[in-house]
Amino acid sequence: MSTIFECSGLTKKFGSKTALSGVDLKIERGQIVGLLGPNGSGKSTLIKLANELLTPTSGKILIGGQQPGIETKKIVSYLPERTYLNDWMRVQQIIEFFSDFYDNFKPEKAYDMLKRLNISPNDRLKTMSKGTKEKVQLILVMSREAELYFLDEPIGGVDPAARDYILETILSNYNENATVIISSHLISDIEKILDYVIFLNQGKVVLTSTVDDIRDAKGKSVDLLFREVFKC
Amino acid sequence: MLIKLLKYEVKATGRLFLPIFLSLLVLAAINKILSAFNHPTWTTPAVITMIIYSIIMAGMFVMTFTVMIQRFHKNLLTDEGYLMYTLPVKSWQHIISKLLVSLMWIIASALTAMLSTEIIAYKPGTLGKILQALATIHNQIIGNFGLSAYLLLLEMILGGLITLASGILIVYASIAIGHLFTRHKILSSFGAFIGLTTLSQIYLVLVFQITRIAHFANFSLYNITSNEFVRSELIFASGFILIAIPCAAYFAVTNYILSRRLNLE
Repeated sequence: MSTIFECSGLTKKFGSKTALSGVDLKIERGQIVGLLGPNGSGKSTLIKLANELLTPTSGKILIGGQQPGIETKKIVSYLPERTYLNDWMRVQQIIEFFSDFYDNFKPEKAYDMLKRLNISPNDRLKTMSKGTKEKVQLILVMSREAELYFLDEPIGGVDPAARDYILETILSNYNENATVIISSHLISDIEKILDYVIFLNQGKVVLTSTVDDIRDAKGKSVDLLFREVFKC
Repeated sequence: MLIKLLKYEVKATGRLFLPIFLSLLVLAAINKILSAFNHPTWTTPAVITMIIYSIIMAGMFVMTFTVMIQRFHKNLLTDEGYLMYTLPVKSWQHIISKLLVSLMWIIASALTAMLSTEIIAYKPGTLGKILQALATIHNQIIGNFGLSAYLLLLEMILGGLITLASGILIVYASIAIGHLFTRHKILSSFGAFIGLTTLSQIYLVLVFQITRIAHFANFSLYNITSNEFVRSELIFASGFILIAIPCAAYFAVTNYILSRRLNLE
């Protein structure tokens, strides 16, 4: 196994507020990783730093051995926690947009998933509900054959029925060599698909472990462990 | 990648501009037809179309300006930036694509405005007269300057484009500087705009002073060569460099912030 994501001494401050402080992480290829922590623990900050949407205050990030830039953007597929779709395109136009800019985007995959979720490619993004927009975004992100997926709260805004479909989509659309990093605070929902977990609290990594180790050595579910670690 | 960005930029903005261009031209034509009747019954409709025409004309220029700001700010520095900045594209390509498309629409707006006034002012035979007048001017210029007139024209257009680009880039740079602040970003952008404008004024004054001093020191282009053509070309070239310097500086500031200091909310 080789390392796909690595950061060392990663710190991000917003004014006087510290969002991440001295984070060191190493994530190997070929697993689904849960980035878990309560609200405001720095999950989104970490993911945004990896996507170059934020500039680190100090420290370093390496994705596939490279610093964030054009080359890493080609291999990273990112689902933000907000909708970034503009309001003037139709679904098929945004699919064309993705095909134009990403060589690893597979339009047939996207059309297939749209069909399964009953979303018409002719619909305008403007007229869609928030939940539908989130589904379209997830379809776009998962239709790329990327090496690393960052999914920031992918199930936060959708109903429980759609949650199962989304998790299934994530599982069925990534290949053995790809890595998926999912941030969430809804642990019981995503626990079953995770191989590895990172607990983040107040900008610091408090625990990293394989899910098997938590279950075997500690005899607990990730959800239970999370509740213990982050007890208020 | 730049070509692809340009394509989507034109698509995103064209859907706003083309209808307004079309409606301006159509209203100009309607107004022309109505006033051609030259009959009291048609006076009121003619006046009304004229008023609507004027409003659209004003609206068109306001839109060119707001779209220029909006496309840069909204598309790159708000939620849409999450999409644009995760594309495998360099930030200078984003800036250039926005700049070129803005330039294109400003010029297109000006041309549409001119064309629509031509439609309203059109009388049988005017077109011939205009062409005739243009031909006379053309011949006179060629007569005075020779073939270098074309070069001169090209240089004037180029100078105009640089000046226009400078005007757009100073706005981009101001928005980018405003983005550096954690709070009051818009207010900071206004502040940055005032600051940059002041700096540019100081720059112009300095440039003027330096040329004056050079002149008094008896160092002027006239001493370099006696060839009239080379002299005028030297003047143009130095002029280009002088106006291109602030333009390049605004671009560099914008690009630095977008590539090294980006912090999307």
